[in-house]
Amino acid sequence: MFRSVDDVVSGLGTQKYICNKNVATVVYLGTTLQKPILVEGPAGVGKTELGKVLASALGMELIRLQCYEGLDEGKALYEWEYAKQLLYTQILKDKIGETLQGAPTLQAAVDTIARQDGVFFSDRFLLPRPLLRALLSEKQSVLLIDEIDKSDAEFEAFLLEILSDFQVTVPEIGTLKAKHIPLVILTSNNSREMSDALKRRCLHLYIDFPGEEREMEIIKLKVPGVGDQLAQEVVRLLHRVRKLDLKKTPSISETLDWVKALTLLNVKQLDNELVDQTLSALMKYEADIRKASQELKTYLAEKKAHQGPTSGGSDSDHLH
Amino acid sequence: MESRIVEFANVLRRNGVRVSLSENMDAFRALELIGVENPTLFRSALRTTLIKRAGDIQPFEELFNFFFLGIGEAIDALDRRIMEELGLTPQQFQEMLEQIQKFLREMEGDLSELAKALLSGNQGDLERLLREAMEQEMQSGNSENLRYTPFTRMAGRLQMDRVQSEVERFKGMLQMLGQNGEDLQNVMRYLDERMRDMYKLLRELLQQEQRKQGMEMRDSSQRTALADKSFSFYTEDDIRRMNDAVARLAQRLKNRLSVRRKRAARGRFNVKQTLRKNLQYGGVPFNIQLDRRKKTKPQVMILCDISDSVLNASRFMLQFVYSIQDLYAKVRSFVFVSEIGEVTKLFEEHDINVAVEAALKGDVIDVFSHSNFGRAFEMFHRNYFTAINSKTTVLIIGDGRNNYNRPNDWVLREIKSKAKQLIWLNPESRMTWGVGDSEMPRYAPNCHIAEECRSINQLYKIVDLIVP
Repeated sequence: MFRSVDDVVSGLGTQKYICNKNVATVVYLGTTLQKPILVEGPAGVGKTELGKVLASALGMELIRLQCYEGLDEGKALYEWEYAKQLLYTQILKDKIGETLQGAPTLQAAVDTIARQDGVFFSDRFLLPRPLLRALLSEKQSVLLIDEIDKSDAEFEAFLLEILSDFQVTVPEIGTLKAKHIPLVILTSNNSREMSDALKRRCLHLYIDFPGEEREMEIIKLKVPGVGDQLAQEVVRLLHRVRKLDLKKTPSISETLDWVKALTLLNVKQLDNELVDQTLSALMKYEADIRKASQELKTYLAEKKAHQGPTSGGSDSDHLH
Repeated sequence: MESRIVEFANVLRRNGVRVSLSENMDAFRALELIGVENPTLFRSALRTTLIKRAGDIQPFEELFNFFFLGIGEAIDALDRRIMEELGLTPQQFQEMLEQIQKFLREMEGDLSELAKALLSGNQGDLERLLREAMEQEMQSGNSENLRYTPFTRMAGRLQMDRVQSEVERFKGMLQMLGQNGEDLQNVMRYLDERMRDMYKLLRELLQQEQRKQGMEMRDSSQRTALADKSFSFYTEDDIRRMNDAVARLAQRLKNRLSVRRKRAARGRFNVKQTLRKNLQYGGVPFNIQLDRRKKTKPQVMILCDISDSVLNASRFMLQFVYSIQDLYAKVRSFVFVSEIGEVTKLFEEHDINVAVEAALKGDVIDVFSHSNFGRAFEMFHRNYFTAINSKTTVLIIGDGRNNYNRPNDWVLREIKSKAKQLIWLNPESRMTWGVGDSEMPRYAPNCHIAEECRSINQLYKIVDLIVP
């Protein structure tokens, strides 16, 4: 476990995840107070990534539950393995016959069978899904519930119960208590507002696009061969592009893809005709590519006018 | 500290941020871990425990600065000013303070707490003492001594005159001890400045308190009233808060619906299918087959009058329809004044506020003409009528004030016969339907439902009609 906020920064740093003091504070509190963390923010700022690196930094297993519309308990928690139960009954036919031999009446036979109920409804035939796996795992694990906003209200209500008591009731077996309370990370793209009850149980973390300095750091860390000048120009251009009215704002992961492409092509700075052709790594829509390309031209024109770019603004500790 | 957090949570609540008791407790626990020394971490810890919606981050930041940095900032600024006045480097200043503290220790017991905090430059104590006095002042409820200004009352509470005389005495003692010239000069001036600062701080504190009171008075009273308020009386502020109301309404609706749909989906036991499906298990029915009813997601067409007279109601309805888009197979939205235009694409591509504003702004149609329902209906019939089928719910929002133009109610009759339902919501009171140029008596009989819808609460009541 993390011992302090700085410990979180360095711990996640070893996993090549750069986080600011705010993110680190929330992670530290979440892991220490054992409260779930609800992470919100635009797509591609590293919400899911946070769950993954948290697991690897703490050396825990990552159990991931991807939410979608119509996800229900059966898919998320547990199911009975009917086929396996049936197979066992087939194999045990003779044994069952023996057991029932002494029974004089049908009633007695049914009673005898009923006494054996526990055999067929036991852990042996329980197929644990992510939530149950996280509860029953022998070591503490990180449970990543991804895109919780995609799930329905019923599922959210059901999740509430689990997140507050960390136990579930399986009617045929009884209550299963968590051996270790997992660290829970929920991510949401805010396609719908989560219920207040869920939010009350969670710590809240809003991750926004990083400032220029921080994004530079991220690029240099993730794309080792990148030149300083290219990284700087890309970040500066991106911060302008993100202000445009786009269908899909380029996220950090797309930025990294683009920089990787540029580095592969051995591009050292943005005034290179290859740059325009690689924009499709950054943008997903034709209209967006056009807009970005226009912005790139404007940027290069301004750069020519100034000649000799000055470095970007100072890095503040806040993303907000 | 805990009482400060509780107070802060109350200020947040009064500013429309929902903070529950359990969140307060979380904040305490978080601060036990984090401590209060590092302002950045302190802020993050409070933010993550108290603030649960991205939209509340902004007010939190403002209130936090105001609440926690207020007086502290002021004290800091005063320290800096004194340093400049005396022309000392921070180090010299520190040395001087240490000297003074040494003297103070020798005088131990003769000084009031406030004087000690003031003279030794102990910010924490100073702030605490001022706050305590302020709280007492607030609790006393101003009933006593209304003849005096708050400033005078506070000065009395803090026993400023006593502090004043103590400082004088301290100066005298220093002179008796016979310090050397320049240092003594500096210390004397420092003490005078400090005393003056004290009054300044007190003023600052009182002003802040008044501002805080002002913030607290804001809008809690209006919040409840919004639901009953008629759309036409909305203020700018109400419009901003509309988002919230719409979201809540939409969520409530979705919850109710999802239950209804679940029930509908659970069909009846299908013997034939069950047997066939379970042949693999030797005819033992392990997998029960139920008749699934087909989920029919209905379609909606919404026609919004966006002339000035009903602008707020239309804005609300557009927002509402935007929020429940995913309940429908297809939502097509139109806005009209005298011509009609489709804004469906806007709704698909932009987020709620951008889309609704764009629809109302007149990018699509000329919004500065006079209402002409008849013409709009005719255009609708010509261009879009074929898109209506028996699954379509058509929803018209408007006051039906047609400026004495041709009503063209035949369009409504045709829609009514073709669509699943035709609903008219009128943001005008039923009393005025048919008065003046209102064509409602002609239009209403040609709709399945025509209802007055002037406030959020009225919408709550009829919302069931709109949804599948």
